[in-house]
Amino acid sequence: MTNGERDDWGRIGLGVGPADRARAEAGVRAAYWQAGLPAPGTVVWFASPVTAAAAALLLTGGAAQVFADGLERETEQFFEAARSALAAQGLRAPGADECPGVREAVWTAPWEAARGRLQAELGQAAWSERWTLTSGALWPRLHGLAQRLQQAVVDALGGPEDAERPAERVHARAAVRRALREAVLGQHDAAWLAALAEDPLLDGLASVACSAGWWWPFADVVLLTERPVLLRQDEAGRLHSGEGAAVAFGDGFALHAWRGMPVPAELFRRLGEVTAEQIREQPNAELRRVMLEFYGYERFLAESGAEPVHRDDSGALWRIELEQDEPVVMVEVVNATPEPDGTHRVYWLRVPPSTRTAREGVAWTFGLPAQAYQPLRQT
Amino acid sequence: MYRQGDVLLVPVAEVAVPAAVASMTAQERDARGRLVLARGEASGHAHAVVGAGRLLRVGGQFGESWLQLTEGGRVVHEEHAAIALPRGWYRVVRQREYTPGAVRVVAD
Repeated sequence: MTNGERDDWGRIGLGVGPADRARAEAGVRAAYWQAGLPAPGTVVWFASPVTAAAAALLLTGGAAQVFADGLERETEQFFEAARSALAAQGLRAPGADECPGVREAVWTAPWEAARGRLQAELGQAAWSERWTLTSGALWPRLHGLAQRLQQAVVDALGGPEDAERPAERVHARAAVRRALREAVLGQHDAAWLAALAEDPLLDGLASVACSAGWWWPFADVVLLTERPVLLRQDEAGRLHSGEGAAVAFGDGFALHAWRGMPVPAELFRRLGEVTAEQIREQPNAELRRVMLEFYGYERFLAESGAEPVHRDDSGALWRIELEQDEPVVMVEVVNATPEPDGTHRVYWLRVPPSTRTAREGVAWTFGLPAQAYQPLRQT
Repeated sequence: MYRQGDVLLVPVAEVAVPAAVASMTAQERDARGRLVLARGEASGHAHAVVGAGRLLRVGGQFGESWLQLTEGGRVVHEEHAAIALPRGWYRVVRQREYTPGAVRVVAD
């Protein structure tokens, strides 16, 4: 496989915009045919995985367990949207016996067969290398994204976890997780397809992955979802946006995140007005980090009246103690090349809390011990 | 070793280069015939090497890279002064930042 094709799977996995419905449906039929199953009689499209998961719960009887724990207003809307999408195709909620899932035959078996065949053909070592080169970098990125979305679907349909009353909503959340295990991840399967897609067994699955989001294969019905309308990530591939949602779907289902950390929509709206005082008072360490990053370390250092704790020819080391959290330790580094106006750009990088000197901090940012970091020239 | 912004080039003796790296397929050059070590996602600015040689990348955008210069070359960037590089092998290290529970790569 060439570099170009590998890049394509990355683009497919992170793709946004309307599904290619005709190609996705043809891919579904091919996957059923490959599994020796008749094509599903009914195809239903959904704008997001949350409504599709609600529909899967309605079709398999899992919805009863969700409803038994009581419904929030917002959750009810997802189920209503799912119910009317099913009704438009003449489907009611028949219950588990009448709507068996076929994910095992359509997805699991062919993927295991394709992997087994390639492993046998290449040998274990070459297979590992193939996986590293084709899927290695993409897999954690897409797996992380899919997991974050799964978590959000569990929260949206099952209701959020309540630390004070852990027994509450346990059954509802478990039912949603079961429904998610019946899904095929479509575009988010791109990482392993990057290693295996040359196998003709997987043609159908690859076509769906190239054209749509998650899908639920049942014996006579298939639920398909659109891709997100928007996806924003940072350079490290984590969900990240300082302006609006980091991922959003056509029906309004959206997630806010800062450097991979999920941020409740309500806090996200207030981030712009947060003060240094509020950051210090935020009891949740993860949310405090989000607030701190958004606020800016530099500004926080200045307003906290912090002084550098160490200085050498590599830069300066700063340290801020936080209550009930590890301290923020940062190296201040000056760009060696001057800006067009003659000034030198200064930037801060966070380093491990155990760092004692500026040189040790800068060396760490390049994965080196302090004594090994000796640049001959820097610009 | 040579540092240009968030990229560090660490000279490596030829005998210390892993055989699996030396036998890899080289990265393609960009439209201007350069070997792109790293590119800032927001700015599109690149740390790029001009000169005869090859770039070998192990695993993805932020994986480890190795550079072999057969006649020496220069590393250039839109916002940093160029640095002349003697011939030989280099390990290319991207700068990273500590975040509690994770580490992220810096891209200027």
